[in-house]
Formats: sequence, C-alpha cells, structure tokens
Amino acid sequence: MEADDLALVERARAGESEAFRTLVIRHQRRVYAVALGIVKDRDLAWDVAQEAFVRVHQHLGDFKGEASFSTWVLRIGAHLAIDAVRRERASSKEDIDDVMDADIERGSEGVLASALGNDPQKNLLRRELAEKMAEALAQLPEKHRTILVLREVEGLSYEELAERLGIHKGTVMSRLFHARKKMQAILRDYAGFSGAAGGEP
Amino acid sequence: MNDCARHAPLIGARPGELSDEEARRLAEHLAACEACQARLADEEALSGMLSQALLDEANHRDFATFADGVMQRIGGGERRAGLLTRLGLWSRHHRAAAAFSALAPALAAVALVVYLGRAAAPEPMLVEVSAEGRGTILLETSEGPVVLLGDLDQGS
Repeated sequence: MEADDLALVERARAGESEAFRTLVIRHQRRVYAVALGIVKDRDLAWDVAQEAFVRVHQHLGDFKGEASFSTWVLRIGAHLAIDAVRRERASSKEDIDDVMDADIERGSEGVLASALGNDPQKNLLRRELAEKMAEALAQLPEKHRTILVLREVEGLSYEELAERLGIHKGTVMSRLFHARKKMQAILRDYAGFSGAAGGEP
Repeated sequence: MNDCARHAPLIGARPGELSDEEARRLAEHLAACEACQARLADEEALSGMLSQALLDEANHRDFATFADGVMQRIGGGERRAGLLTRLGLWSRHHRAAAAFSALAPALAAVALVVYLGRAAAPEPMLVEVSAEGRGTILLETSEGPVVLLGDLDQGS
C-alpha cells in the first residue's frame, strides 16, 4: 500500500496531476477526520483538510519517504487544524494539566467498561456511544481535543506528542488523563450512568 | 498526593512508553488498587472508538467535490505563480518595454484628461464674411482660425 503511495508521489512530482488526485482521494477522509476532531466545525475541517493537501503538493519535492505519505499529510493537517483554533487555545490556558487528588473520581470508574464489555448484546450501546463520541469530543477544551485526536487518531506516542505540542512527557500523560476523564464523564451522561457506581443504566 | 493521583496518568501508556521504573510502579499500584484497575478497563473499553467515530463522521460526508476543490486550489496557485514568473522573466529581458508598461496607466490617464478637456471646449465660432457673391467662412478653432472659401449661393 505504501509502495503505491510512493509511486504516486513520484508521478505527482513529475507533474502527473491524476496521480496526486489519487493520493488525495485515498487519504482525504482520514485527514478530514483529524481536522474535524480538532476544529469541531465541519466546514472549517473541510477547508483545513483541503489546505493540507495543497501544502503537501507545494512541498512534494521535500518528501523523502522516511515517514509514510499518510503520516506526512496527517501531520500537516493536524498542524493546520491546531493553527486554526489557536485563539481558542489562548482562551483556555486556565485549564491546568497537573493531576491532583481532587481529580481522582471515586465511584464511577469502570462503569463504561462493565457496560460495554464484550457481550455482543451490548454492541448496541457501543454503537450509540460511538455515535456520540464526536459530539462529546466537541465539548472538550481545545487542548484536550487536540491531544486526544493526535493520540487516538494520528496515533502519536508520548514522545511525539511532547515534541509536537512543545510540552514535557509528564504533561502529556496528565493532559491525556484529564482529556479522557472529561470524555468519559460526558459519555456516562449520554449513557445514563451519571452518578452510578458500576450499575446498569 | 495519593497513589491514584500519581499513577492514574500512567494508565493508557503503550508498550515501551513508560520507563522501567514507571512501569514497575504502575504494575504494583494496579495489583493493589481496584479503582485504577477499573480505570484501565474503561480505557481499554473505549480504545479505538474515538478514531472510529471521527472516521464514521467523515464517511457520512459526501466527498465527491473534495479532490476537485484541492486540484482547483493547486491549479489556481500554479497558474498565478506561472504568470508571475513569466512576467518577471519578461520584464528582466525587456527593461524599456517594462518601464513603458509601468508608465502606461499614467499615460492613459493624461490622454483621457486631454480628450475630456477638448470635448468640453466651446463649439467653434463661425464668422461669415461676404465678398462679391462668394462666401468666406472663418472657423475659429483651438489651433487658431481656419478660413474656408466657398460660394454661398451654391445649392440654395
């Protein structure tokens, strides 16, 4: 698959526009998904994703093939999306990353796991929650959305996250903790588990 | 800070992301803490769901025009860049013509002012002088008087 991408990149570099179009079609949904996760707005995500491919095309000559084409275009898309919401980020600096005792919730941990489980009859709840997930993500502050998307969709490691976001590895872990905690709280609300301590809804 | 506040952020790390010391401490804590075992279970239960949810969102959207939009943006950029590049090269090789081109708008403006000035000028004054049945017409123009000779009776 990646060999195909590399071959298409070579053809696009040679001026074959159809080769580049094929690359766009192949990766467009994933780039859009990353952008949407970060910027929330569908039209802005569409614009960011298109711009990501335009930037990629402008720098095709710089592509060395050390990382995959997919990684490269996703990185550019995420970077543009983060830029697009920079203002929002500045307004949410009051969200601290440290994990304090008060951040450790009691009583609700494990509720989602026991509800979702591996029981095929509970797949309906899994589907329902999956449908609500993007909505739940949109309710998080920008920095929590961003780190979750980079981690879960782009698949970055702690080290890559630290480098990309310009923060320490410890901050990466604590920020991810807060992001997941907020996401899980919203999902528990959706599923009707608010305040429940491990019981069924 | 209690043990959970120290160890909960380590939950969700992938293999190799924690130092040996961190991994050992987490394993020891998990073995003794049911709450953090439950947190780990939540994390595992939701694993992959966010990525799938966002891709589902993308899959629900019609992407028929997406690639065309990208190619138009690229094409527009290339056309603009190409035109600017050609103009730059042309002006370097034709400095006199380029200088004239730069002055062209100013020259056009001057020409327009002169034209409008002339158009707004008063109608030429016609003065008729008669001599022995022949009519002489003196036409006053902005370049000076023009004398036209002719037979005033002709055609009357």
